[in-house]
Parts: sequence; C-alpha cells; structure tokens
Amino acid sequence: MDSYVLILLALATLLPALSAAICYVIRNSAVRNFVVVVNTLVLFYIAWEFTRLLIASNGSIRIDEHALPFNVGEIIKYLDVLLLVTIGYYGFKLKKPLIITLTVLQLVPVILFEFFMTVPEPATAFVIDYLALVLILLISIVGPIISVFAIGYMKEHEHHLHLEKTKQPRFFMVLVGFLGAMNALVMTNNLSWMYFFWEVTTLCSFLLIMHDENEISIKNAVRALWMNLSGGVAFIAAILMIYYAKGTLSVEEIVNTPITGGFVGLFPFAIGLLCFAGFTKSAQFPFQSWLLGAMVAPTPVSALLHSSTMVKAGVYLVVRLAPAYLGTELGKVIALAGAFTFAAASAIAISQSNAKRVLAYSTIANLGLIICCAGIGNHIALGAAILLIIFHGVSKGLLFLCVGTIEQGIGSRNIEDMQGVMKQMPYTTIIMVIGAQSMLLPPFGVMITKLLAIEAAVSLPVVLTLIVFGAAFTVVFWVKWIGLVLTMSYKPKLVMEKLAFSISSSLGLLLIGVLVVCMGIAPMYNMLISPQVKAFHVADKIMLLGGNDGGIWLQAWNGNIVGGFAVLSVFVILGILTLGMLFYLKRTTLDEVRTPYLCGENIDMDIRGLQFTGPGEKAANVVVHNYYFMGIFGEEKLTLFLNLGAMALILLMFGVVMR
Amino acid sequence: MINNILIAVIAVIAAPIIGGLLSGIDRRLTARFQNRFGPPIVQPFYDFFKLVGKENISVNQTQMAYVWAHLLFAIAALILLVLKQDLLVLIFVLAFSTISLIMGAMSVRSPYSKIGAQRELIQMLSYEPVLLLMVVGIYMLTKSFMIESVFSMDSPLLYKLPLVFFAFLYVLTIKLRKSPFDFATSHHGHQELIKGLTTEFSGPQLAIIELTHWYDLIILLGIITLFFANPLWVGILIALGAYFVELVVDNICARMTWQWMLKATWLAGIGSAGINIIGLYLKA
Repeated sequence: MDSYVLILLALATLLPALSAAICYVIRNSAVRNFVVVVNTLVLFYIAWEFTRLLIASNGSIRIDEHALPFNVGEIIKYLDVLLLVTIGYYGFKLKKPLIITLTVLQLVPVILFEFFMTVPEPATAFVIDYLALVLILLISIVGPIISVFAIGYMKEHEHHLHLEKTKQPRFFMVLVGFLGAMNALVMTNNLSWMYFFWEVTTLCSFLLIMHDENEISIKNAVRALWMNLSGGVAFIAAILMIYYAKGTLSVEEIVNTPITGGFVGLFPFAIGLLCFAGFTKSAQFPFQSWLLGAMVAPTPVSALLHSSTMVKAGVYLVVRLAPAYLGTELGKVIALAGAFTFAAASAIAISQSNAKRVLAYSTIANLGLIICCAGIGNHIALGAAILLIIFHGVSKGLLFLCVGTIEQGIGSRNIEDMQGVMKQMPYTTIIMVIGAQSMLLPPFGVMITKLLAIEAAVSLPVVLTLIVFGAAFTVVFWVKWIGLVLTMSYKPKLVMEKLAFSISSSLGLLLIGVLVVCMGIAPMYNMLISPQVKAFHVADKIMLLGGNDGGIWLQAWNGNIVGGFAVLSVFVILGILTLGMLFYLKRTTLDEVRTPYLCGENIDMDIRGLQFTGPGEKAANVVVHNYYFMGIFGEEKLTLFLNLGAMALILLMFGVVMR
Repeated sequence: MINNILIAVIAVIAAPIIGGLLSGIDRRLTARFQNRFGPPIVQPFYDFFKLVGKENISVNQTQMAYVWAHLLFAIAALILLVLKQDLLVLIFVLAFSTISLIMGAMSVRSPYSKIGAQRELIQMLSYEPVLLLMVVGIYMLTKSFMIESVFSMDSPLLYKLPLVFFAFLYVLTIKLRKSPFDFATSHHGHQELIKGLTTEFSGPQLAIIELTHWYDLIILLGIITLFFANPLWVGILIALGAYFVELVVDNICARMTWQWMLKATWLAGIGSAGINIIGLYLKA
C-alpha cells in the first residue's frame, strides 16, 4: 500500500515533468502527441486511484518524509535557487528592474533561510485530504483534456502565424509540466516546498503567456510575472514569520492553530500575507489585470490558467488556511474582499464585448466568490467554496476551449461577431451554450453555489449585498452573450462543422464532465466535500446535505430542512426542453417561416431578414448590437475606483492582523 | 408524497384560471378608468383559445422551445411555491423563466424584439437584487429559507418588514410590465418599440406567453400573501389590494426610460429593503 502510494505520488508529480522533457527534447509532432495522450491517460488513472485510496483510508493519506526514497528537501533547496535565478535571468533579458528587485527580495531570504539556518522539515511530507483530492481531480482530469485539445489547436494556430520554426516543443513542455507542479503544490504538507511549486507555477504561466513573443504578449507576461512575484515575496516573508512564531512549517499544524495555540503575535500577520499571495495568484482586484492580459496567449493556456491550474492555486491556499482564520476579524475582511471582487468583476463584465475578456472577468468574479465563502467560514460557505472550485474549473475550461474553437472558425473573439454562429458551427456552439448556461442557470452547479453563498452570508450584511449585486450582474452579461450566440434565421438542416479529432473529443469530454458534476452534486458532496468541511472543525447551526433525491439541502441543528432544492427534478425539465428543442428544429418547415418584422420594408425573397429598404430605396443592412452600458459599467470608468477600493480592503486586512 | 402531487396538480390547473380571470378584471377596470365599457371578464380566455387555434408561424426553428421553457419554469416556480419550498430557489427559477423568454426574443434577427429583450434584461438587473434582499429579510425573521416556515410564524411578516413589502410592490410593477415600467413590451403595438419582446411571437407561441403571464401573476400575488400568512385570507385580500394598486399606478403613469428605472429601483427598492433589513440586524 505504502509503496503503491509513493509510486502514484511520483507519477502525479514527476510523470508530467518527464513528459514535458520528452516533448522538449524529441522535436517530432507524432512523438509529442503520443506522449501527451499517454500522459493524459495515466493522469486519469492516477486521479481514479487517489480517489479510491483516499476513500478507503478514511480521508487522509499521509507520507512521511523519511519514507521518500531520497532527500527531497535538499533537492528543492537547490531548485529554489535555480528557479529564482531563472526568473532573474528573464528580468535581466527583458530589462525589467522591478522583476529583478522582486526576485532578489525572494532570493536573499530563501538563501538565508534554506542554507544558513537549520530548519527542521515537517515529519509528514505529503498529506492528501479531500480538498487536495478535489484539486488533484481537477488538475489531472481537466488539465490533460486541455493538453489534448492543444494538439489540434496549436497546429492550426501555427498554421495561421506562418512560423518558420515550430515553437510547440517548448509550449507543450511548459503546458504539461505545469500539471505536475500543481499536483505537487496541492499535496505537499511542507510550506517551504509549497512555496517552490508556487513559484514554479508563476514561471510556467509567465512562459506560456509570453509564448507568441510579440510586443503585447511580452508586456502582459511581464505584468503577470511581477504581480505574482509580489505574491511570492509575501509568501516567503510569511514562511519566515510563521517559523519564528510557531517553529513549524507543517501546513497541517499551521491551519490547526486554534487548537494548538492562539491567533496572536506575528502569526496572524503571516496568515494575512499568505492570503495576500493567494489574492495575487487568483487575480483578485487590484491584481486582476494580469489575468486579463493573459488572454493574449493561445487559447489552451487561458483554459489551463483559468480552470485547473494557477488561479486555483490561489484559492486553494485561501481555502486551505480557512481553519486558521475561522471566525476572526481577518476572516470577515477576506469575505469582504472576495465579495467586492465578485461584484466588481461581474459589473465590468457587462461592458465587455470581447468573449475572452468576459470569461476572464467571470473567472475573477467566481474566484472572488470562492475566497468570500472561505472568509465567511461557516459550514455552508466552506462547502460552497469547494463546490465552486469544481464547477467553475470544469465549466470555465470548457468555455475557453469553445471560444478558442469558434475564434479559429470565424476569425474573431468578439461576441458581436458570434451572431448566427449556430448555423456555421452547431457542434461547438451547442456545447458552448450549455457551458455558458452551466455558469448561471438553475439547476447547474455554479448557480447552486451562488444560492448557497447568499444563504451562508446572511450574517454579514455588506458581504451579502455585494453578492446579491454580483449575482444580478452575472445574469446580465451571460444572457446577453447566450442570446446573441443563439440568434439564427431559418436553415433547413444544420451541418456539423469539421474539427480536428483532438478538439471535438476534448470538447465532448469536458461537456460530459460538466453534466456529470452538476447532476451528481449530491453524491459528490457527500463523498468528497462534506468530510472535508467536517475536518475543518466548523461548529455550526446549519449543515449542508446531499439528499437521496439528488438534491442539496440545508439542515438546521434540530433536523429541520431550512433550504435547498431537488436538483435532479429541475434537470428533468431541462431534459424535456432539450428534446423539445430538437423536435422543433426538425419539425419547422419552410412554409411556416416568416420574415422578422421590419416595418413592412423587408426586401423581397430575403427570408432571413438581413436587409430592409432604407432611405432612397436602397437596401440597408439590419444591424442590432447588444447593450454594453459603457456609461455605467465601462472598464475605463470603473477600474481605477474599484482598484482603489480593493487596495483599501487589503490595507484593512493587514490592519486587522496588526493589532 | 401523493398529497404533494395532488396539491401541485391542483395548483397548476387552478392558477391560470384565476390568473386569467384577474387579468380579465384588470382589463375591465382599466377600461372603466378610461371611460370605456371594456370586454367581458372571460375575454382573456377567448383570446387565449383564439391564439391557440391560429396556424403555426415562426421566424426560426427554435422560438417555440424558448416559449415552452418560459412556461415550464414558471410552472416549476409555482410548484415550489405551493409545496412551500426554498424561496430563494423559487426566485432563481422564476428568473430562469424570464431569461428563457429573453433568449427567445433574442434568437430572431429582429431589431424590435432584440431591443425589447435588452430592456427586459435591464429590468431583471434592477429588480433581481430587490427580490434577493426580500428573501434575506424574510430569512432574518423565520431563520429558514423554506416558505413553510413563514406559516409557522406567530405574527405576520408585514409588521416587521413593511419597507421590504413596499420594495416588493415596486418590483411587482416591473414584473407585471405595467406603466411606468412597460418598456420591454406593452399592450399597444404602435410605439417606438412595436411590441418589443413579443414582436416576433405569434399564434400558439403568444398563447403560451399569455398563459405564463397568468402563472407569473399568481406566483407574485402568492408571494405577497406570505407577508400575511396567518390567517391566509387576510394575505389574499392584501394581495388583491396590491393588484388593484398596480392597476391604478398603471393608469396614472406615463412610461419612463430605462435609465430612470434603474436608478429609481435601486434607490427606492434596494434602499427601502436595505433600511428594513439593517433595522432587523440592529435589533438582532
């Protein structure tokens, strides 16, 4: 059993690294594709095995440091230095003093701490609990699917760019290697190891954003780098403080502080710093601009950054630390900051017509909601936070892949250009619409977590109001988009578009993933999330339950049901509607179809209503755009003030831990 | 279980009948306000069956599916109400019903219906926060999101939530698409918007939309009765009174712009609901 776990652990972290190396060294597309597919299948297997083992061992797999075959701590020490030197090298190469400064600010404490002080490593090197498992499942299932999608996408992408020399080896190296670093990050119990993997993801995302190496991608990559490095500086500072305050670097012991010791001295400040690091990585206001800039990279990168890796590391850390700040002032400020980002990002998303920007703002908003829930810290909220990590990861991964496919199909990522895309690319469009619906409509998961967030936040009026506004904004920008995409005139038969197999299969797989997690919310909650929330030692009056009816219910301490609904029954209605949609698609015939109303000035024989007889008897095009409310929700109008507000909240966060 | 199914079935059948009659009374009263005689009270049903009998005409293949979604989710919301389920879920499901209609209106290449859809969306943006705050207000008193808990309260919600009640009345005007907030669609097809949201729906589609409207009416009046649930007949009287007030407002107001509505609703609706809820927090 123990050695089997070790093998799995090695596979989860080192196999992606090995695949990455092969992708880079053997510059042959057939080999590369083979490696990516094998890597995918093995990671699926690992995800399955970890789930099985974790349930069999009652929710905790622990691996002692001395059980590892070699001294990992010693290796990571040198890799730490190597990593920072690499980042510093990019700082010199691109002549960015800020990056060099931030690197030095980390390098000095790292060397002092790792080489000149004798720090006892925690006895337990790796701890896998349900929270880690949820992340492992995301990283090892959604991540690899995205890498498979990238096979077809990058071929087309480089074809468009007319590159002389392919850059795919490096691209796939970073893309696949990223997964290994993320797996290690969520499994490790050693805070200083976590710091190493944390910075690896920073470097990976920098390299991926920079991939196309034009002016704008370099600029945005540098921005992503310095913002995340500032989080890294906070992280290393927090490690030093925690070590001084508690004398341990074991994540387990740190989060159990309420039990093992008080929330006093340097320690709260260190927790605040770690949350700050989480905020930068999760692109919370005022650090949202790096994630928005990241969309210059090829689509698989955005999909990966937004769904299973990178930003999820940030929320993972904040949720992981939740027991440490549970019920403190710090928790309340974190909830406030998260809710603020949720409302702010959702508001700006209304004004965006670029599909990827809408998705990016929606990601930022959802991450804000996850952080908010972690900060609220009651039973329902923590359950909702972990649920949202899952739902958001799967749906957002799918949506980015769909937008990327449509972009390659119609040559635009502007939502306005997607009008009528249903007729050109029905397969992708239908999947995208289901993906978008899963972000806002009942009975899909994201909406359920919003519901739970509202039900959890009733004790914090300001947080609650922000969530309520955010929820209303969310509806507006999604519905505008879905409505436009589904706009179509009559077409007798929809013909499926031709897509590369890697693209169509990964879209299909992720769609199945979305449906499975949304329909299986009750068993998933009972099996994976409820034990985790219990392990957080939250004593609360209201608990969350997955019901036998496939629903999700809130139960008060006296056994009364105080909220929730039967999720599956709403899916039945949706199923009926889907069948109805197919029925009407088939049934409607040409002689039932009329032109849209254009004040009687339709052009003859134009059944689609694309033109009308305009002034001077000339044919004029019918053009209707969506409303974007630039005057109210415009990015330029709001960003400055929202950033200032968010900075004030972060100052407040440090204010409450200083006392 | 059997009992629940029975209640649901009765509600699904009875609601449109009552809703239709109420909108018949609405038309009759409105006519009297305007010094006209007005149609018979059962006129909405005549209209409904006439529409059902019309031939199927559509602008694209998908319209009808959205209309069905509009209806089915309204029915789902009604069932949630009569089975006394989670009020917050009810609000979300009801929103889905409206969203379906919006998407249906956006699905055709028609400027009028698209603009109507965008305006309906703005309406949702302005009233949705108020509805959610209303649910929170009710939770603060009952400590439960289930509608069932409202019925076990000793004193009516109205006494402790007067401002939330006012905010809900305000939202009711928008939800029923009455003046001054009838800019997504209106009863008169000769304005700048033509028929807005419903421009491109005809015949049976329009019949289903009308039917859904009756369901909506009953659900909204049902929520009003929650404010005075013990004894229920007082609540029903209050609901009918509120409906009458809506008619009067409809007849004495001119249509406003959406900018005005957004500001006014957030100020008056969220403002008053917010003050009420903060008051409850201070007391708690």
